[in-house]
Amino acid sequence: MSIYDIIFYLFAAITLISAFFVVTIRNIVYSAFFLLFTFFGVAGIYVILGADFVAMVQLIIYVGGIVILMLFGVMLTNKITSVAIKTGTSQIVPAAIGVGMFAGILTATLVNSHWRKVDTAPLLPTTQSLGLMLISEYGIIFELLGIILLIALIGAASLARK
Amino acid sequence: MIIYDFLYNLVFSITQSAVAGDITAMVISALLPLFILVLPFALLAVWLERKVSAHMQDRLGPMRTGSHGWLQTVADVIKLLQKEDIVAAANDRTLFNIAPILVFAGSYLVFAALPFSSAYIGSNIDLGLIFIIAASGFVVAGILMAGWSSNNKYSLLGAMRSAAQIISYEIPTILVILTIIMITGTTNLRTLSEMQTGYFWNWMIFGGAGFSLSKFLFIPFMLIGFVTLFISTLAEVNRTPFDIPEAESELVSGYHTEYSGMKFAMFFMAEYANMFAVSAIVSAIFLGGYQSPFGYLGNTFGLHWLIPIEQFLWFASKGVFFVLVQMWLRWTLPRLRVDQLMALCWKYLIPIAFVNLIIIGLITVL
Amino acid sequence: MKEYFQNIWYGFATILTGMRVTFKHLFVPAVTIQYPDVKLQLPERERNRLYVNMDDCIGCDQCARACPVDCISIETVKSIPGEDLGKTSNGKKKALWVTKFDIDIAKCCFCQLCVFPCPTECIYMTDVYEFSEFERNKLVYDFVTLTPVEREEKKANYAKLEAEKAALKAAGTPPAKPSEKVGD
Ligand code: SF4
Ligand code: SF4
Repeated sequence: MSIYDIIFYLFAAITLISAFFVVTIRNIVYSAFFLLFTFFGVAGIYVILGADFVAMVQLIIYVGGIVILMLFGVMLTNKITSVAIKTGTSQIVPAAIGVGMFAGILTATLVNSHWRKVDTAPLLPTTQSLGLMLISEYGIIFELLGIILLIALIGAASLARK
Repeated sequence: MIIYDFLYNLVFSITQSAVAGDITAMVISALLPLFILVLPFALLAVWLERKVSAHMQDRLGPMRTGSHGWLQTVADVIKLLQKEDIVAAANDRTLFNIAPILVFAGSYLVFAALPFSSAYIGSNIDLGLIFIIAASGFVVAGILMAGWSSNNKYSLLGAMRSAAQIISYEIPTILVILTIIMITGTTNLRTLSEMQTGYFWNWMIFGGAGFSLSKFLFIPFMLIGFVTLFISTLAEVNRTPFDIPEAESELVSGYHTEYSGMKFAMFFMAEYANMFAVSAIVSAIFLGGYQSPFGYLGNTFGLHWLIPIEQFLWFASKGVFFVLVQMWLRWTLPRLRVDQLMALCWKYLIPIAFVNLIIIGLITVL
Repeated sequence: MKEYFQNIWYGFATILTGMRVTFKHLFVPAVTIQYPDVKLQLPERERNRLYVNMDDCIGCDQCARACPVDCISIETVKSIPGEDLGKTSNGKKKALWVTKFDIDIAKCCFCQLCVFPCPTECIYMTDVYEFSEFERNKLVYDFVTLTPVEREEKKANYAKLEAEKAALKAAGTPPAKPSEKVGD
């Protein structure tokens, strides 16, 4: 067992435990903070897998952006609307069906895909190749995604103005 | 990583276990900057802050603990250590205790990627610049956590303001950093510093290394980028004139109102660590990082072991210089209003940084 | 558009002006006075801690009655015949033993009203202003020069005299010597 195994299990544990709490805990603020640790753990696993750029973007967008926005939403609405912000369970049967199907798909993919096992491959920086790919091979998709985001932004702004 | 290898070999020879060696070496070399840099710097900076502010207001500042009060911060730390650790009944105990750790960890994370000298850089990762931006996300989360768990309107307001401010000012920061990435083609802070080696006219603020037409075309836009980056990073660390999150006159002291003792000290230390980190980033990007402006004594005398030490000194002094400028600004300018703050960011800094990005992109293409 | 650039220019210009001002003040000598080491000269008629020169006090109780906050408390005992209390510096004859002269300086409001009525000018303000204490009762100053034993002795003497007089009166004889009447 090398140090990298230990670090991997550490991050995996952080991810799993906090993800478990995200869904089970009743207090939604706690949930959001646990989500932060989940994202952190996932970023760590990305780093170990050699996907450093993805890891950093994960941190910037999810930790620095999404979670913060969620917290903002919770904190701002909590005191204004006197709705108790708790998570609860409803619609068990449809949810169970959905989760079961999704779990089935995931397991099927897990079993059927051919995993590339590379032992101690040198971790090369991925940023440059990723960047080149984004603007050459996947250029159009990249731009389209940008446009979708822009539309979402404009939509949100116009909704908020009403 | 000389220190890492040394520790690893030491522990390995004792325990014959590679894992133990790795873990000890990692932990110790990770804690090293904390003890040799962050703590002494925080002590020095708090004292400097007091002295600078005092002299700017024609006062003397602390004078009685040690010569010119240089032991004042040490005394303060001892006082803070002795203080009762108060957690009010209505506070959310768990989050309240985690928040200062998260804030400090977030600001300390940045130090992992700072290039202190060519021989010492915590982690020479390829994405140094991006990593530094990413790490600040934890600070925001920690601040929100502190504000929420304090269960106090001032704390919550301060935390919200702070988070909003940091998120907004991240945009001009990233835009300026993007221009640098575009010119240099690297996000590695070490490579970035190495690119600016030689004399000071090779620094990014003077258009980077090499003599060509584009270098001279860069200079004015680099200056704009430099000022933009300095202002936006200043706002990111919540310093005056951007200190509305802890505006004393309206919010007591913002998100750390409820904290006492060492937990308060952690926020305080995080603030000063942040100040240095931000200054170091600005100097690493625009002012050559650890590079000396006039060549090295080590080269002149042929003592090559001297160079990393000189580089460290240059890096530290550039950092401290910008910290001093931050203090200077703090004691010069009044605090911005919230709307002014947002106007400055969205109406001035972001458009300027954006136009700057485009112009520099065009020049690079030329 | 023009306004936009003007704003930017104005912002920079004002910030730089401000920074120049603060930078200049870095080198202006500080106005701070290092207090316990360096002290300011106090004005001539400052009002600080009271002092009573007991050699001159005739125990007339005027100061105590003038005090608006009642922080002076005086008890006197008449001297018995044959005792010479001496004279005050302005020539008044002293006739009363002052057995208690307490000033509770914690209550004192430094109005100086006690100073003017004194016939012998023996109660006055000094320039001492550093007299903080950790316990409040230490701020009650006792100015009496007699030792506690002497005070009891004087009281006992006078009581004895009174008792003797009373005894004489009871016996129907006029008092041998009229007791001096000083004060009220
Ligand atoms: S100064 Fe005023 S308050 Fe103080 S003892 Fe004299 S009369 Fe009383
Ligand atoms: S007025 Fe002067 S003489 Fe009279 S009791 Fe007071 S201090 Fe003594």
